[in-house]
Amino acid sequence: MFRRILIANRGEIALRVIRTCREMGIESVAVFSDVDRKALHTRMAHSAVALGGALPRESYLDMDKVLAAAQSSGAEAIHPGYGFLSENAEFAERVTNAGLVWIGPPPAAIRGMGDKITSRRNMKRANVPVVPGLTDPVADVDAALAAAETIGYPIMLKAAAGGGGKGMRIVRSKADMASAFRTAAGEALASFRDGSLYMERYLDEPRHIEIQLMFDRHGNGVHFGERECSIQRRHQKLIEEAPSVVVTPELRAKMGAIAIAAGKAVGYENAGTVEFLYSKGEVFFLEMNTRLQVEHPVTEMVYGVDLVREQLRVAAGEKLGYEQKDIQPRGWSIEVRINAEDPFNNFVPSIGTIRNLRAPGGPWVRLDAALYRGMEVSLNYDPMLAKLIVWAPDRAGAIARMRRALQELNVGGVRTSAPAALRVLEDERFQQGNFDTHFLATIDLSKPLEGEDVIVAAAAAIHRHFSSQRKALGTDASSRRAWATRSRGRQSSYPPHRPFADAAAADATTEVRP
Amino acid sequence: MKYYITVNGKEHQVDVVERLGVLRVAVDGKALEIDYQEADNLGQVALLCEGKSFGLSIEGDEHTLSATIAGHLYAVEIEDERERAAHAAERAQAKGGGVVKATMPGIVVRLLVKEGDSVAKDQPLLILEAMKMQNEMTAPADGVVKQVHVREREAVSGGAKLVTLTATS
Repeated sequence: MFRRILIANRGEIALRVIRTCREMGIESVAVFSDVDRKALHTRMAHSAVALGGALPRESYLDMDKVLAAAQSSGAEAIHPGYGFLSENAEFAERVTNAGLVWIGPPPAAIRGMGDKITSRRNMKRANVPVVPGLTDPVADVDAALAAAETIGYPIMLKAAAGGGGKGMRIVRSKADMASAFRTAAGEALASFRDGSLYMERYLDEPRHIEIQLMFDRHGNGVHFGERECSIQRRHQKLIEEAPSVVVTPELRAKMGAIAIAAGKAVGYENAGTVEFLYSKGEVFFLEMNTRLQVEHPVTEMVYGVDLVREQLRVAAGEKLGYEQKDIQPRGWSIEVRINAEDPFNNFVPSIGTIRNLRAPGGPWVRLDAALYRGMEVSLNYDPMLAKLIVWAPDRAGAIARMRRALQELNVGGVRTSAPAALRVLEDERFQQGNFDTHFLATIDLSKPLEGEDVIVAAAAAIHRHFSSQRKALGTDASSRRAWATRSRGRQSSYPPHRPFADAAAADATTEVRP
Repeated sequence: MKYYITVNGKEHQVDVVERLGVLRVAVDGKALEIDYQEADNLGQVALLCEGKSFGLSIEGDEHTLSATIAGHLYAVEIEDERERAAHAAERAQAKGGGVVKATMPGIVVRLLVKEGDSVAKDQPLLILEAMKMQNEMTAPADGVVKQVHVREREAVSGGAKLVTLTATS
């Protein structure tokens, strides 16, 4: 087993890997950008190496810097987490060539699955069912319009090199094609430096169900059942659960077998996930994610397995040591992603400083987060702040527990997606398991919530009353600034007092202050 | 003092009177027995009302704030009588055209209109990128572009003015 590994990531997933390392007695090396100097993953690792820069491409995406950090810190292996370099075959290759162990699938497997078009071709060859569509990218809007005639509307446009909902658009009719193509190609180019798009049929009442896989280096592979991730907006998941209400033991066995076959077709090793679209009893291969998924904890809860530990074990060359028949699910688990975004305003990103933080607790509640009070939430990185995970013996119990945990959670300073998740969990259709990937769009979050609005109105008025009072009495800088702001409108109609507004004079005043 | 409080789009009238250090609060004419205590000066409030306890979280300023009770978010706008009159006058003036503002912080990746252009309702005006997601900002109504406030590659904050439209009469 490794003595020391480097984690080429940040945020909650870096912390997630650090936690398992600590439990296994493995030293963890964090890397951090300039803005993450005080981040929790920097603080909790055994050692930390500065990458510099703020933007991902200047820090966590810079292969040279990450490799140099691994070598200078004496790490034997690199865990990529998810996102950033995790599905970059070139990086995996460079890690291996540098004599380090890549905690993930071999570069050839990443290549075979990383590009959605290549993976569709590979899967068709392996007789894995795929969604009707093109196996080649479309060149331009005209080609897309022509191809749409044979596939049939509605159409899904997808970035060939994509993931995370970026560069994806649904096109319902001819008229929408030009605008959707333009923005999807633009997003794809900006995110992946590759603007090529491919097209496929958009399925009715689709549910997103995925199978967790784990392969060792000795030809052994198992699946850890399914996760359902149908509650999404803009193709980004918000709520995930394991198991799925629509998956019977027979379907689980069938999907598991397809997923294992898909993995074997590309010579897979380590953890991976095969995503399926489920539509009215049928399943179609969507793509394979050649890394650990964000939502892996629900599988861990239901199967009692630490997937990061298994990743480290098989990367170190150990055998799985168990077979498919040894793996049985138990109970139900739900995860909610807490993103910095405004559910009242179409989920646009919300930025700010984390002011107050109240973490939920109690039985069978798990919070995977890298949050701390004073943390700056900026536009530099992904908006996901935390994942809240619960377990219960059955689905109703898990929903009740998650609702309770969300009621306890409080993240102040930015708007978060948590209230939207709570609305979903309170919805009868969700509770009955009657939903698809469009479900979130059917909930009108701006609709006034019948609830405590009288209490809120009273509290807001008192809050205003006290803050006005403080401003009127206070002598601190903020109150002076507030008064200045309030009177500015009136001042503009008078000739300004230039000598006193002079910058040099202002500096002189500053100097004599203590 | 009288306040007009809009909670998730629903308006309430709240009277707050402080007498000898005691607050008297009435919402929509109904007096409520309320004890309001700030727990940490960071927005956590311990509120008791008519025997019920509310662990409330409030953040924002005197005019807009969000309140969270048991996980539910309430978007709140606050006006006193003077502000209410001023806002009503502003809205009357802006009728028809108006300013298209950024719904989120981001970078203007592409401008699709210039000053003087006629635009139709829902026509894309520019593309704004945030966290690698591109979003088209569209015209809220038919109009003419009076002024473009931003340039391509410019970073804008949420709520920043993007384009001013005048209504086509």
